[in-house]
Amino acid sequence: MCDQNSSTNNPSHFENQNTSKEIPTHVDLRWDEYKESIKGFKFFDPHIHMVSRTTDDYQNMAQAGIVAVIEPAFWVGQPRTGLSSFKDYYSSLVGWERFRSSQFGIKHYCTIGLNSREANNERLAEEVMEILPLYIYKEGVVGIGEIGFDDQTDLEEKYYRLQLELAKEAKLPVQIHTPHRDKKRGTERSMAIALEHGLDPSWVVVDHNNEETVKSVLDQGFYAAFTIYPFTKMGNKRMVSIVEEYGSERIMINSSADWGISDPLAIPKTAALMVSRGISHEVIRKVTYENAIEAFAKSGQLDVSDFENGFSADPSDKFHGNSVLRGGQQPKWNQNSLFID
Amino acid sequence: MSQSVSLSLFSILKSHTTKEEMEWLDSIPKMHLESVMTAFVKAPRHLSKTIIQTPIGIGDLIPEVPGFTVQDWNLVRLSRVWLLSFFAQLPKEQLVQKIETLFDTAELNELVALFSALPILPYPDVWLPRATDAVRSNMGFVFDSIALCNPYPFFHFPELAWNQLVLKTIFNSKPIALIYGISQRKNKNLSESIFDFIRERWAAGRDIPSNVWLLVSPYISETHLPFLKRLFLSQKEEDVMAASLLCSESSLEPIQDLFNEHPKYKDEIQKGKWNWSNFMTVC
Ligand SMILES: [Zn+2]
Repeated sequence: MCDQNSSTNNPSHFENQNTSKEIPTHVDLRWDEYKESIKGFKFFDPHIHMVSRTTDDYQNMAQAGIVAVIEPAFWVGQPRTGLSSFKDYYSSLVGWERFRSSQFGIKHYCTIGLNSREANNERLAEEVMEILPLYIYKEGVVGIGEIGFDDQTDLEEKYYRLQLELAKEAKLPVQIHTPHRDKKRGTERSMAIALEHGLDPSWVVVDHNNEETVKSVLDQGFYAAFTIYPFTKMGNKRMVSIVEEYGSERIMINSSADWGISDPLAIPKTAALMVSRGISHEVIRKVTYENAIEAFAKSGQLDVSDFENGFSADPSDKFHGNSVLRGGQQPKWNQNSLFID
Repeated sequence: MSQSVSLSLFSILKSHTTKEEMEWLDSIPKMHLESVMTAFVKAPRHLSKTIIQTPIGIGDLIPEVPGFTVQDWNLVRLSRVWLLSFFAQLPKEQLVQKIETLFDTAELNELVALFSALPILPYPDVWLPRATDAVRSNMGFVFDSIALCNPYPFFHFPELAWNQLVLKTIFNSKPIALIYGISQRKNKNLSESIFDFIRERWAAGRDIPSNVWLLVSPYISETHLPFLKRLFLSQKEEDVMAASLLCSESSLEPIQDLFNEHPKYKDEIQKGKWNWSNFMTVC
């Protein structure tokens, strides 16, 4: 526990920047060049941490066709000192963040859980487990997540197992975070434990897959999610190859955008790349929209009619009397203009 | 008290639930605290948002809790308050700890239910900071749940907090008539704040609801003559009526002189045609 800080200075979606050979593809494409090719597509990002994103992101996401997102509870970077900060964080996922998102016409859901990294603080983890049932049953909570392994410690395993039981009892899908280090073993272990607890693999989304893990995940009946995240996870050229090889069944794409160098437009950009590579619209639609809905609708908390045909943001709407759009601001404005009116 | 409250609420629940909904409510182990707390949260997963209609003319729903009403709540809110009624039998420390946890983790609709339940919870003073916070906090639905049709503030708010509640209701253009006990808790400090408020509103060229004048009625003095004169000049009949009622309650000579300039209303008020209750529909 004492060397926790030194061994965990690499954030949850961001690591080994220097050793990575991956060339970031996101800078090679310009919005102007690809936006026309995905006109009319609707996208669902089932893994994005909007708490660490700006309103600019919401505007760009809405313009790029993202109509709904799932925000999993995660490690916010700064270690927590008490239960209250967990309560405030979970409350923001079902409260303020959901409201902020709605102001940009994006439907916001969340998954709630104790992050693997935070499972290593046993005293706090125990307290969090006591209040989790008060959050997972709230309206719009579509799963338990993201949970699983990080350092693959005994404590991580203990709270992973406890939360799988909670998911079973609550009849909620599970969103599994797979570790950066020793990923293949961690992924296999996560799936084996889920099966051991009697979970139906079609209720479990295994996240942050790569070429090494995808086959086994799909073969065992789990959903395989892929995070398009510059430098550290998947680049979207690799993603296209995976879709070409494995098809669209039970595969979904997300951005996992958070406080690291990440891209909230990862899905539309990948879709554009798939269009340019001649992948059918039907396949693109499945991996960027439908499969995520299919997986998380099992919660009974996800209603497609809430976002399928879009919903208009009401700028006069308030959350707890507060508005994001101050003094009559509109959800969209011209960022390319020098003047800020 | 708690048991009869639970029973009263349950009988209303029964007439608004489907068979499946009632089965779920029945299945909750009421003596197991954690289960009740979880049920409080997950109620929307099992219940519809049917609007509760209590029989008209029922008077006080629960005799031990005057002013308590569930009219126009939805089924989820009523069920949540009913679930909270089972906490009433706990030892104080345990009760407070559980309810505080629910407050700390609550989303908007859960907060509404918690504030709606305050009149039926024991140890009313314990909830006072939460309740006065709710008045301060600007949360639309939450503010309504403590301020309107809720008897808790009337019985437990100190004067300062009560006055804040009333002023904020007026300020937010919500109906003061729905504040339980509004007519009984008039006070001098409140009337002074209201005169200040009216001055400000008029300076900004804005209206104030006519029934607000009810709150200053025992405190009219000669210094308020300009208010009354201006009110008599209003295009709204209710304003003129409010001015007349204020005059009718004063024995001060200059005020009576002003009243005499409006004989029609003076006559009608003396005949009992008008009183402040014409301005108020009570919840
Ligand atoms: Zn994440």
